[in-house]
Amino acid sequence: MSLSTSSFNEENTTKMDTSITIDDQASSKQMVDQAEDRRVFIKITLAIVLGMMVAMGLVRLLLDANGANKQGILGRVLQAQAAIPQIIAEPNDLVMFYGSSMTRAGFSPRKFDRDLKVMGKDITSFNFGFGGLNPYYQELLSRRLAEQFIEQDRKLKLALIEFNPFQATTTRWNRAKFTLDSYITMLSNDAELWQILQQDLSRGIHLFNIKYIRNHVSAEMVTSYYAREIFPPQRGQRFKDDEETVAARRSLGKELNQAFETDYPNYSGEDWYYPWRGAGTIPQERSEKTLAVFDDYYAATQTDAQMKNDRLSRIRSADIEELHFEPFLVESFIGIVKNFQRFSEKVEVVMLPKNSRYIHYTPEAKIRLAQAIKQIEKATGIKIKNHQDIKEVNADMYRDSTHLSRYRGDIAYTDFLLSEYAKVL
Amino acid sequence: MIFNTPIFFWFFCIFILFYGFAFLKQTPKVYLLLVSSLIFYGAWNYSFIPLLVGSGIADYFIAQAIGNASSQRNKKRWLILSLVINLGILATFKYADFAIASVADLLSVLGYQASFTTLSWVLPVGISFYTFQSMSYTIDVYRGDMKPRKGLVEFVAALSFFPQLVAGPILRAKHILPQMHAISMPKWLEAKHGFLLITVGLIKKTGADILAIPAEKAFAAQEALSTLEMWTGVLAFAGQIYGDFSGYTDMAIGLAILLGFNIPLNFRVPYFAKSPVDFWRRWHISLSSWLKDYLYISLGGNRNNNRTRNVFLTMLLGGLWHGAAWTFVAWGAFHGAIITLTHYFANLPIFSRFNNSNALAVSFVKWAMTFYLILIGWVFFRATDINSAITIIGNLHTIGSASVLGANAWTIFIFTTVWILMVHVMDYFVIKSADKLEQKNWQFWLLIIVGQALCLLIGEPSNEFIYFQF
Repeated sequence: MSLSTSSFNEENTTKMDTSITIDDQASSKQMVDQAEDRRVFIKITLAIVLGMMVAMGLVRLLLDANGANKQGILGRVLQAQAAIPQIIAEPNDLVMFYGSSMTRAGFSPRKFDRDLKVMGKDITSFNFGFGGLNPYYQELLSRRLAEQFIEQDRKLKLALIEFNPFQATTTRWNRAKFTLDSYITMLSNDAELWQILQQDLSRGIHLFNIKYIRNHVSAEMVTSYYAREIFPPQRGQRFKDDEETVAARRSLGKELNQAFETDYPNYSGEDWYYPWRGAGTIPQERSEKTLAVFDDYYAATQTDAQMKNDRLSRIRSADIEELHFEPFLVESFIGIVKNFQRFSEKVEVVMLPKNSRYIHYTPEAKIRLAQAIKQIEKATGIKIKNHQDIKEVNADMYRDSTHLSRYRGDIAYTDFLLSEYAKVL
Repeated sequence: MIFNTPIFFWFFCIFILFYGFAFLKQTPKVYLLLVSSLIFYGAWNYSFIPLLVGSGIADYFIAQAIGNASSQRNKKRWLILSLVINLGILATFKYADFAIASVADLLSVLGYQASFTTLSWVLPVGISFYTFQSMSYTIDVYRGDMKPRKGLVEFVAALSFFPQLVAGPILRAKHILPQMHAISMPKWLEAKHGFLLITVGLIKKTGADILAIPAEKAFAAQEALSTLEMWTGVLAFAGQIYGDFSGYTDMAIGLAILLGFNIPLNFRVPYFAKSPVDFWRRWHISLSSWLKDYLYISLGGNRNNNRTRNVFLTMLLGGLWHGAAWTFVAWGAFHGAIITLTHYFANLPIFSRFNNSNALAVSFVKWAMTFYLILIGWVFFRATDINSAITIIGNLHTIGSASVLGANAWTIFIFTTVWILMVHVMDYFVIKSADKLEQKNWQFWLLIIVGQALCLLIGEPSNEFIYFQF
């Protein structure tokens, strides 16, 4: 009995032991499996995070090595933005001409201030004309100006704002899309990006990523850069100059650079505080010899073929004769004017001279332009001054189909502006 | 949310932390997958989540009802209900406006001026994929190919599984449901394969975005192009759509592997195909096999001498699946026609030597003919309308109106050709011998990081994947 009991107990004990062993084994195997799973996931997580960090580091290195950073891309705009405190601190009354590359080429602050000084008016003016922007980007920049002027309780005596119809077309907008995200991150503040993130999480994260991880350089911008190398946006030039003119152009370009070095052997950009102030020297600051080289240079560059090619490229890039406006850009322009109205004693909206020898609006474009002007005037309460066909600027004063030429067009137009606005300053 | 965007990167990082470290047991993992998939889908448009979940719930219970039905007749009724729901969703959201516009056009041709109001509803992203996936479950249960499975949450989690939710591959219930029922974690070597596929996918997508530029130029036809530029544009689109779609699929498969799921191959070097039939065995395999199993066979397959009709109908509807436009119908019809012709010629004794030959020259001719036909097919697929497609095909076969080649025309042509070839070689390598690379640590990670860096450097994340619209 006892044996039997003992036997029973032994048997049961053995069974229990076996069962415990099996359970232990299963549990131990499960623990080993879980530990193995966890090890794999630690590796996966590390691979994702470290891999991305190293890859991003490589991207930053490559971008920096190619000078693709925000200074390289929007250098002058950012320099101008950074100089706002310096502008606000100027003792004289302030005038700012805000616009596109046409403004940049067409207005000389040095001449403007100099001539006003002769009239007994102490004014410091700034050329805030920037190439490659459109009203959307300009609106963002004007917010930065408004913020700082209002914060310092400073006002512009006069704000001249260029309404450039070519900048507000759908074609222009479509072609600028690859720069959109980079420029937004450069010109917006974090609060504005945060607002975007609240409206569209995906886009907001995308923009913060570009700003803080990609050093403001979006993948779209890089792609576009490389793609343009491989896939040039337009066909070869249609109109050709004779070889003599082409050769002259090349040699005169070099000669002009040498002439500048001769005129200003110790040139330091900071002494002149442009490029951010805008425009460069005036004829009085260049030698007779250099100005003569400029005459030759313009003769070689402002040929009929060059102008016609330039016209075609601008039709392609900005729809300059049909003028199909992008409503969003027109709205953005209205935003610019309203921002300036917040910190300016007087705001004027002007349309710069147009090279009417080469640029001709279609009848439909004229109607569209009139509608856009009406919309802007209604929203801002400001009558746009149309300087497109002023007699003071003639067709020989353009360096291409749209931009006024240096020492000629810019001087003539600045003179015109003086005649118009000196009395209100 | 697109795989190659920062938001997806952060989403996936957070997800993997929960998935790998917090939700260790089966049931919580399934719930986590479901919730994450719905967040993923909702990031695009949350208002369509009920449609996705609703169609899944409906098919789950319909499959149960089919399983419990006492007679074949009742089973059929339940199946019809499932088809009506799924095809009804597709018809309403995807094809209603197309049908309305087509009727209006037809009436106009007949001389009646009718004014119809279109719905203009937003097309829910991935609708064609998840409705087909869901439908295959009820059909499989009806046919007795699988038993209805218990577990509603598992079923909806499988249907909405985020790696493949919006652009496939189209998974079969019998493939994904068992995996969802017993999620097994990946081994490290498998995970490495996942990373490789994600990188390969990113590279393909990046290349596709670049090829979009010459493709757009040719198809937009805003300026006169030479014949070479037109061919380059069509070739570029072939490269673009392959890189875009197979790139997305590679990323989907790679991500799924990291989560412990095995998704079948969706592409097998398709442009190396040597006949149109061969092409469809290599291109979008999950769709072509779906169409074969559920449509072609349902129509009767090869039986009763109806093969030609059935092939043609299957391809026509396959074309329509891609989009509600006559261009897609034409693309489907074109493929239907060339497959039918292939079958016809294959049966002619005069071609038997050619068909059975594996000689290099013959293989090359077969490949060249097939690739030419595929390219012509892509013109219908990409063109804005049938007339443009016909004009483009005409331009491809005549000397272009532009006498001067655009800048870099030959460079672009060579770049496009080399890219397509390179992507195929890369794919071939991944299929055949990726495991050898995955054994080598340094070389493997160097390749992954350089590949990812290149894709981060360039690429256009704002460009959505083409197949999202289908």
